[in-house]
Amino acid sequence: MLLCALLSIIFLFLMLLFIAREGMQALLTFGMDFVTGHVWDTNLNLYGALPLIYGSLMVVAGALMVAVPLGVATAIFVEEVLPFSLRDLIKSLIELLASIPSVIYGFIGVLFLAPRVASIFGLSSGTVALTASLVLAVMTVPTIVSISGETIAAVPKEYKEAALALGATKWQTVKDVVIPTAKSGILASVMLGFGRAIGETVAVLMVAGNVAMIPTPPWNFLSPVYTLTAVIAMQMGEAAIGTLEYSALFGLGLILFIITLIVNSLADILVKRGVKRLGG
Amino acid sequence: MAGKISEKVFFAILGVPTIICLAVFLWITSILLSGIGTLRLDLLTTSVLKGGFFEMIVGTAYLLLGATGVAGPIGVFAAIYLTEYARHGRLTRIIDQAINNLAGMPSIIIGLFGYTFFCRQLGLGISLAAGWLTLALMMLPIVIRGTEEAIKMVPNTFKEAALALGASKWETTKSITLPSAAPGIITSVLLGIARVAGETAAILFTACVLVTRGLPKSPFEPVMALAFNLFVKIVALGEPPEKVFGIALILFLLVISFAAVGIALRIYYRRKQPWLR
Amino acid sequence: MAKVDIRKLNVWFKENHVLKDVTLTIKENAVTAIMGPSGCGKSTLLRAINRMNETIDGCRTTGEIYIDGQNIYDGSIDVYELRRRVGMVFQKPNPLPKSIFENVAFGLKIHKMADGQKLAEFVEKSLKEAALWEEVKDRLNESAFSLSGGQQQRLCIARALAVNPEIILLDEPCSALDPIATQKIETLIRELAEKYTVIIVTHNVQQAARVSDYVAFLYLGKLIEYGPTKRVFENPENELTERYLTGEFG
Repeated sequence: MLLCALLSIIFLFLMLLFIAREGMQALLTFGMDFVTGHVWDTNLNLYGALPLIYGSLMVVAGALMVAVPLGVATAIFVEEVLPFSLRDLIKSLIELLASIPSVIYGFIGVLFLAPRVASIFGLSSGTVALTASLVLAVMTVPTIVSISGETIAAVPKEYKEAALALGATKWQTVKDVVIPTAKSGILASVMLGFGRAIGETVAVLMVAGNVAMIPTPPWNFLSPVYTLTAVIAMQMGEAAIGTLEYSALFGLGLILFIITLIVNSLADILVKRGVKRLGG
Repeated sequence: MAGKISEKVFFAILGVPTIICLAVFLWITSILLSGIGTLRLDLLTTSVLKGGFFEMIVGTAYLLLGATGVAGPIGVFAAIYLTEYARHGRLTRIIDQAINNLAGMPSIIIGLFGYTFFCRQLGLGISLAAGWLTLALMMLPIVIRGTEEAIKMVPNTFKEAALALGASKWETTKSITLPSAAPGIITSVLLGIARVAGETAAILFTACVLVTRGLPKSPFEPVMALAFNLFVKIVALGEPPEKVFGIALILFLLVISFAAVGIALRIYYRRKQPWLR
Repeated sequence: MAKVDIRKLNVWFKENHVLKDVTLTIKENAVTAIMGPSGCGKSTLLRAINRMNETIDGCRTTGEIYIDGQNIYDGSIDVYELRRRVGMVFQKPNPLPKSIFENVAFGLKIHKMADGQKLAEFVEKSLKEAALWEEVKDRLNESAFSLSGGQQQRLCIARALAVNPEIILLDEPCSALDPIATQKIETLIRELAEKYTVIIVTHNVQQAARVSDYVAFLYLGKLIEYGPTKRVFENPENELTERYLTGEFG
């Protein structure tokens, strides 16, 4: 039984080990240029991941700009305003939204969202950063709703009664008591949302346009971008084992692994801190 | 009445995002269901070679069964250890953190790892077996967390009753804790299946090929899957949407039904714990 | 002088009829104790006076409660202003997860009653009124959770006093406290009665005898007996009251 429990650690460690091993060649060849290089080109055999890192961060930032206000507001509404009888139903529907496979999100994105983005902004193709951000936003909202919702629901009833009995309105109670108390859990939900969004592969790949260049200007959400995950998924099939390209893809995997590890660990600490403080 | 006005504003502002979320869900569902006309029932049992979906559906089922067979027992045992046997020390904390990190790991990373470790290091090649192990890695955290929750909901008095009668710890776990927690464990497995049933990135280079001649005859042969085929047909082959609508719809219905049953069961048992009344 | 006039009050939680036709007139600047066995509806009666019951799902109220002649269940009543006028202290001390100062200042800020220097003055005044100032004046910025249980409860009293209420509701304020802290709160309650109308819920008969001027006895949602404390204790009119006071049930 202990072994079963230890498997999580063992496999996490093996993951790091094997991905790092395969990516070593690219890291040794390019050094820091692997992370800061501007050119990612298979034909030139040049692998600089900066445009991809930028692409990932850009679509995720765009997604969070939509998903965070949407998700946090929904969590507050569901936990604090909705009558108890409706709460489970609405939460379940939002959880179902999270369970839709990413390939289906991609399918809907390609089929219905991209053409609309194209026609609204007068683009020749709708597979651009904006579309990817919107799809990602929908996929991230459930994570934010469920984690923020959990912490909001964990705010002791006594706190809320204290404020209400002093004549605070429901809105004042939420603003001055509930949100400050649930702050670290809400922040954790944003971090986890970030983690989920940056690791999302298939849906993003299908709608982001996949051009390995930093847009000009860099905040142009109407240009196509290529993300870390999308490059790995697209090129793995063709990369011959042992080549520099193959190794470079694992190098990208390593970058992604480290980003995710940091983000998840931070979220973990935030959640634990939140729990400790509520414990009094 | 400044208070009442701000209260109404509060309701209005906060209600809108919730409605947007629900509208998006309904929109996606309605788009997919609109394709139901293209789906003919006989196609479900017709071979892919004749334009049906048979091998994809059965292949997906094979993948799910195997992954559940691996992740289910391991996850349940891990959860039993963590809730019933582990002391609250440093090791438990690290295991806990590892589970969270595994849960948050992008599926493409799990796929990359599956490829280097299961396919190449262990020599399984691109195969059903490699797919099982890779998907099991994704299911594991869900099963562990769900089982832990289910076990924690079993009242201590039950266990104490058994222990006081002289039952050993393992006997107590086996005869009291696990049966009481069974519905919760089943729920967590269902939710785990829902999580991986539509997974594409993890099986992209570990288990699947576009077309097989019939079903795999051993776990060491590659397999077809709904999600993989949908993805490749749109991205690599550029097939028109009408031709893949059927796959999308079947996959959607499959995943949503697992998730819906899982979620509904969870709510049902949380409310109807007989000993919580 | 009548301060609170309760007429034919009925309260339901879902199907559960918790208060039945309670009619009761509460005097100004006095301590009125509501006592009775657990589950008799005494907390519900208290929470009807500042309309806190309606923050619970499935609660329904009929009847009237008049404060200074105005029906607080009238549609035109501003419930937030009502709750400012009717302060409440709960069974378990419930300081907010903020500093000592911020706890007392909370209501003042909510109602925009003071800021800056005036805010600090009000906070000091309230803490003095709650007999807590000397113990906390050097640590106002510390978390309220750093206080002992008894201090936390007096902080909650100070918080209720800060917004300048007329009536103070206390819901078994000593049930989570040790005897010494209890004694301090009881002394405080007597002092508060000079300025405020105090209504206290208690299941402790001795406490009702010690602190109150009037006492109401509630049983199974009905008002059984009400009168001056001395008279009710020495010469109960109802047999149920007598049996309760002698400890036969409760």
